Amino acid sequence: MSYALIVAETRRGIFEERNLDSIGICALLGKETAILLPDGQYSFNEKLVDSIIRVKADEEVFLNPLNMTAIIEKVSEARGRPDLIVFTHSSSGAESAAYAAGLFGFPVITDVSGYDKERGIFFKSYYSDKLFGEFKTTGGATAVLTVRSGSFKEFAAEKAAAPREEVVEGITASDSRTFVEYVEEEKTDIDITKADFLLSVGRGVGNKDEIPAYEELAGLLKAVISGSRPVIDKMWLPKARQVGTSGKTVKPKVYLAMGISGAFQHIAGMKDADCIIAINKDAEAPIFQYAHYGIVADMHKVRDALKGVLKG
Amino acid sequence: MNILVFTKRVPATQEEELRLINDGKDVDFSKLPFKVNDWDNYAVEEAVKIVEKGGGAVTAVSIGNTESDEVLRRAIAMGAKDGFLVEVDQALHDPFARGALIRNFIRKESIPFDVIFTGVQSEDDQFASVGGILAALLKLPYVSMVVGIDSVAKDHMVVRRELEGGLQERVRVTTPCVLSIQSGINEPRYVSIMGIRKASKVERKSFKGIEYDAGKESHIELVKWVYPPKKGGAQMLGGELPDICKKLMEILKEKGVYQ
Repeated sequence: MSYALIVAETRRGIFEERNLDSIGICALLGKETAILLPDGQYSFNEKLVDSIIRVKADEEVFLNPLNMTAIIEKVSEARGRPDLIVFTHSSSGAESAAYAAGLFGFPVITDVSGYDKERGIFFKSYYSDKLFGEFKTTGGATAVLTVRSGSFKEFAAEKAAAPREEVVEGITASDSRTFVEYVEEEKTDIDITKADFLLSVGRGVGNKDEIPAYEELAGLLKAVISGSRPVIDKMWLPKARQVGTSGKTVKPKVYLAMGISGAFQHIAGMKDADCIIAINKDAEAPIFQYAHYGIVADMHKVRDALKGVLKG
Repeated sequence: MNILVFTKRVPATQEEELRLINDGKDVDFSKLPFKVNDWDNYAVEEAVKIVEKGGGAVTAVSIGNTESDEVLRRAIAMGAKDGFLVEVDQALHDPFARGALIRNFIRKESIPFDVIFTGVQSEDDQFASVGGILAALLKLPYVSMVVGIDSVAKDHMVVRRELEGGLQERVRVTTPCVLSIQSGINEPRYVSIMGIRKASKVERKSFKGIEYDAGKESHIELVKWVYPPKKGGAQMLGGELPDICKKLMEILKEKGVYQ
């Protein structure tokens, strides 16, 4: 039986919304779809899939590539090898996808954001969305994909019949990699998700000495300062100020992005802001595709000019 | 502990215009500067930090053309003992092909290691797959998105991996293993031109990828590159700086975030 296997991503009991993109691409490909879930009760529209395969394993065991490959083997023994294995493009999804591809000798394409059905072509980002690569798999083996969130969910559609229920049991958790505990971010007094107006700085800021002048500008504008990954990685701003998938998802009234090129992981964290204003000296920066207003300019010059205006 | 760390030379594309040539079969890199892949820089630093504390040696390996020697010199300047170049004429776009080449190289040359580090991804193709494929091909445990190494014991390590929204997961992994290092895990040391010059005197070994069946195990094909789909895009505010500032302030007032 030909089918697509979706590895659901759950995090502490929550069915992540980006699983809908995994379901969507399977619908777009016209595949019969089975979704794999760890132990627990998950709230989602079950009619979107043909089968639900419940794995008798805790979420932390399930989201471990060493165990996930064992689960996929069991599923393949029971119902035949899938044509397609789909993961979300996320920390756990990308980790298990690559490992599964390596172990089974399957082709893998990650961060897939488009599919051309007629040509059988998958689109994937290169150079932080400055280019896209058109890929196809060669040979007939099962393809492993990770899917970019927001790319395919509109293709997910309800099936005529309620999903069939299947169970996978007898998974022995690997002892070479084991879950110890979750580590929460340190609590801080600032919560950027509550701000109406964020002034966010990115890689373009160039060096740490420039940061205080942006903090001053944020103060004058009564905005809260935040940053993209490169600025946080360099410890120029604290982790609690990070906007993006590994940081915070924000929805301010205004998001003023200065020197942020717009890597997808950043966009995913701010695309729902009411108004996005991007300042970047690179006219081709991907962020201009998502912004409502764009300014092609040197961010430092705009900063200094704005400060001049505000200080009157 | 002996650590094998992979480092890649990539084009610096931030703020650079990328131009497609030959009907999208190639990207014109002729005017672009090149640099070490950011993630690999963190991986090299992490490896060097571990051996500085607990002993052992770091070996840096790069897959690429002869110019990739520059990222090996850089790794040596940071503290790696050896630099190995596995030379390939053409870029291997399929991460599976790269993983398979590395496995073949490690096995054929009997490269010793306790742990392998890769960057989570490379800035160019962002596949984030080579580490996982390599681990599976070597039948070793794997952890990706590593943002902290809490402890290193004789037969295992305790590491933290990044999840979403500021959440991390602490895991215990037995060695030997493959870890993919996430950016921000440390503060990579500064590398001076003098340091690189000194590192140039350390002999780097060069190997021919063809000896390890480079490119033979490939499962996907890059048909061509295309420019990103246009989504409508922003309304651009042009003019001189004072005009831009005026328009910007008007928008902020209109949106009610500045009075």
